[in-house]
Amino acid sequence: MNILLEIMLATPFIGGLLAFIGGKVHRWVRFAVAVTFSFLTLIEAFVYYNVTIKGVVWGSLFGSKLILQTNPISWLFLFIVTAMSFLIVIFSIGDMEEDRIKLDSYYMQLLFVEGAMIGIVLAGDLITFFMFWEIMSWTSYFLIIYGGKKSVAAGYKYIIMSIIGAYSMFIAIAMLYVKAHSLVYADVATTLAHSSATFVVWTVVLLGIGFFVKAAIMPLHTWLPDAHSEAPSPVSPLLSGVLIKMGAYGLFIVLYGFLSVQLAGNIMPSVFSTPILLYIIQWLAALSIVLATFLAIMQEDAKRLLAYSSISQIGYVVLGIATGTSLGVAGGLFHALNHAIFKGLLFLAVGAVIYRTGTRNLSDLGGLVKKMPYTFTALLLGIIALAGVPPLNGFVSKWMIYEALLQKKEVFLLIMAFIGSTGAFLYVYRLIHSIFLGQLPKKYENVKDVPILMQVPIWVLAVSTIIFGIFPGLAMNVIVKGMKLFGFKPIAYTLFGFPQGTAMGALKVINISAVLAIAFVAAWVLFLILSKSRKVSQYDNYAAGQVVTPELKYNYSFGFYMSFGRVIKSILKLGIERIYNYWVDAAKIFGDYYMRRVYTGNLETYNSYIVIVVTIAAAAILLGGKLW
Amino acid sequence: MVKMILIAIVAPLLAFAIGLSFMMIKRKFVARIQRRYGPTIIQPIFDIMKLLLKEDNISHGIIFSLGPIIAIAGSILSVFFIPIAGLNMLTGSGDLIALLYIMAIGSLGMALGAGDSANPNASIGISRALTLMFGYDLPLVIIVISVALQYHTTDLSAIVAAQANGHWALWSLPLSAIVGFVVTYGALGEHPFDIITAPHEVATGPMVEYGGKHLGFLMINHAFHLYVEIALFVDLFLGGASNIFIFYIKMFAVFFIMMMFDEVLPRFKIDDAVRFFWKWPTVVALISLIIVLVK
Amino acid sequence: MEKMTEEQVKSIANMLRKRSLWMIHYCTGCGAMELPPTMTSRYDMERFGLAPYVTSRQADILLITGYLNVKTLRRVITVYEQMLDPKYVIGFGSCTLNGGVYWDSYAVIKQLDRYIPADLYIAGCMPRPEAVISAFRHLMELIDSGKADGYKRYKRNLAYYKENQRKVLG
Repeated sequence: MNILLEIMLATPFIGGLLAFIGGKVHRWVRFAVAVTFSFLTLIEAFVYYNVTIKGVVWGSLFGSKLILQTNPISWLFLFIVTAMSFLIVIFSIGDMEEDRIKLDSYYMQLLFVEGAMIGIVLAGDLITFFMFWEIMSWTSYFLIIYGGKKSVAAGYKYIIMSIIGAYSMFIAIAMLYVKAHSLVYADVATTLAHSSATFVVWTVVLLGIGFFVKAAIMPLHTWLPDAHSEAPSPVSPLLSGVLIKMGAYGLFIVLYGFLSVQLAGNIMPSVFSTPILLYIIQWLAALSIVLATFLAIMQEDAKRLLAYSSISQIGYVVLGIATGTSLGVAGGLFHALNHAIFKGLLFLAVGAVIYRTGTRNLSDLGGLVKKMPYTFTALLLGIIALAGVPPLNGFVSKWMIYEALLQKKEVFLLIMAFIGSTGAFLYVYRLIHSIFLGQLPKKYENVKDVPILMQVPIWVLAVSTIIFGIFPGLAMNVIVKGMKLFGFKPIAYTLFGFPQGTAMGALKVINISAVLAIAFVAAWVLFLILSKSRKVSQYDNYAAGQVVTPELKYNYSFGFYMSFGRVIKSILKLGIERIYNYWVDAAKIFGDYYMRRVYTGNLETYNSYIVIVVTIAAAAILLGGKLW
Repeated sequence: MVKMILIAIVAPLLAFAIGLSFMMIKRKFVARIQRRYGPTIIQPIFDIMKLLLKEDNISHGIIFSLGPIIAIAGSILSVFFIPIAGLNMLTGSGDLIALLYIMAIGSLGMALGAGDSANPNASIGISRALTLMFGYDLPLVIIVISVALQYHTTDLSAIVAAQANGHWALWSLPLSAIVGFVVTYGALGEHPFDIITAPHEVATGPMVEYGGKHLGFLMINHAFHLYVEIALFVDLFLGGASNIFIFYIKMFAVFFIMMMFDEVLPRFKIDDAVRFFWKWPTVVALISLIIVLVK
Repeated sequence: MEKMTEEQVKSIANMLRKRSLWMIHYCTGCGAMELPPTMTSRYDMERFGLAPYVTSRQADILLITGYLNVKTLRRVITVYEQMLDPKYVIGFGSCTLNGGVYWDSYAVIKQLDRYIPADLYIAGCMPRPEAVISAFRHLMELIDSGKADGYKRYKRNLAYYKENQRKVLG
């Protein structure tokens, strides 16, 4: 049975290669291979539902064993990765239909990213982890640059920041290797338990930079808005729903796999009875939540809006994981799953809109609800889940995080978390209103809903938002079991919610949704009894007597929250991007003015350098090291 | 079981009756402030019935029609979560934090319906409504946290029980109570926060295209909304009540003070309203919160 | 028996309708001046359940105060057609009856009744608030007895009204 772990890890890679070869035969072969292999991976993942395997050695490198392992927490992320990848492959078939670019390598890279992420969550040692981490970064870079000219620039930004993160991780791993000579998780934990505080801090900070770049926590987020919005429609949900969760997973492993001793014992100084390390992470996450929310409100581009919202939502995940209490960590992990579901849904639905209309500029769209009702309904479920309104899934996980923070009396973080959620109302309404509501522009009068292959993944995710919202116990089964392995006290839960005592109040989502449904039906019946309404066209509209014509743009969608923008003007001016740009400019100046003196591009200069170096080397050899 | 069903039917009707009575009193009261005779006391009933009995109704689409229905469904749902006079039907199924978001369901439905009316006035109205909500939400969450920390629970019935025998939160958290009053006032959209409907600027905002039975539904929803917001304030700060009459008297007292402010104040600009909420109410609420934390 | 109940329902509906009349007014200069005193404390038309409303979808009464010309007639017709049944039209002042002081102007619509069905006229230039309120009271009586059926006439004689409108508006 354990050999299956390796098979599962290999499946997407083999599938990717086969899809590449199959694409040479016919494009349907390529589709068939991609779908089959991603589905196979999903099935294989289900074999490990709630299974814990301590370690399968699959090789060794530099004297350190390479290990694969799995536990319910890994399985949670494994499930996110495999399920989302499968849905995205299906969506890609519809969306990337026209052979505008070489799609053979597209599916190969899609499956490689999936395989790399499976490798990350199954890794039992840091070498395996880092190897797959790098494969993930590079293959996802190739996926991002499929989006066209602009996406190449976005891809550069992404890969440069990823490399910075990867180097910093690499240094940490090298430090650990030098100290422990083994990079298996258990050994790393013991090493860190016996190390000096300075060593621990450096390791954690260096590893943390790597994870925070991937998870796009606030000071290191700048790659995300560009990369997520410029990537092709099916890739965005993969990046936003799945890839950034790897940062959260890494953080979880470091905090509770490696540092459990430090966090459990009161070794670190603590604030609000939280170890200072966690407290700093919490603040970074909370700042991400609020600032990214403000930025998302002011966006005019549908995918950029969702990208900023991703930064904000991953903030909740990290905030939950960093609370350190059972309820909070469970909430954070659950939110990782929920965010994958609803953000994947939103990106796919927006992708469907882009597929039909060719634009993602919010002020160009409008009134599509009559043309794309199914996409609208799915997107509606997605935004309700994102805004954290019961009875959908986003509410439950956010509720857990709030309650955890309230129990710990971390009020300022709690206020920020609340504000991020209220702000979410603003930007999600902006999204749905500007795309689907308001007046339908004349040029979109012949738009149809997207083909069935694109509908299916959207609707699978839409139904999941309801299922995980009403039955949070389904996810809790996995999360609570997994957290026990990391030394957390199990929290009490039922299939439908949380009884009194788990948090400061009880929650039973099934009652909420049942009463809502009954109240809705009652109101609807009353509505139907009354005289019928007649449908009027959008041009038969109140305009103080003016006759509305298609030529008149009778729509309010540009600068939707302009007045709110005036309130937060001073906050919007602060740009982290500007600090980075300052360094970019500095590097450019350094390159242009100083390095150019050396690397002149002139052959004679380079030749003279060679002569000089050779002379010095020859002199050194001739003198036989007598110089020193 | 029979009792449960009975309560389930009576509670929304009761809430509607209370909300409607406030609407009635307000019409008359405002008229008296303006030195008018005012309409008959049951004028809102005539208005609602007339709207519901309109022979002709228009709709811009399914979402347009669903908007008022979702709004009423959301309001009825929140009614069940507010413990009144010992009746707490669903209070065990969701706490104060859940209620904050349950109360948003109705607004969301309303916003969707208004958006589907394809009228820029409605869109501007919703944009203002959400901005205003963002404004008053900051002080609101701070006072909710203060109350939850004061009583070490977020269970509403427990909060009400802890305030029995006159130990109201109004006495222990006076600053939070004042902010709570201002926030409730803002949430009801009375002057000077009637930026959302502002008839002279955006032609009643979200309701611009609503007429007939749709508008009737929205008026019914307004009655529920009045009830929910004020009842929540009474439960949080005035200790709820053991029977419905005392509860009504407390609610009426709150509403009476609100009416005093209404009709004599002009209208805020939307960004000024947000700035207002983020300035004084927030500062006062934070002071109160810090007092609770230190205590 | 069934017919009786239907009649009764209708009479109840009419009773409710007359107690709550919401008004949208089309105003030109002088005519509008008479409305503020009618609404405010001196005469207070809210006593009868009358209130000014904003949009055409919400209103029951279309009050045409003063003269109409070719440009404004189009707007008034749009507003009238957007209103929901049952709806009533009141012509306010002499201008709506025969053009008033503008009786010989080429651009003024002389007779409102030819373009949209008026249920009631208030004569005078200008009618005082007492006259306005008395007109509203009269309209209530008409509604109660089911005689205020301008909206039905408009539907029945749509071709006639459209023809007249087309002649003026082109």
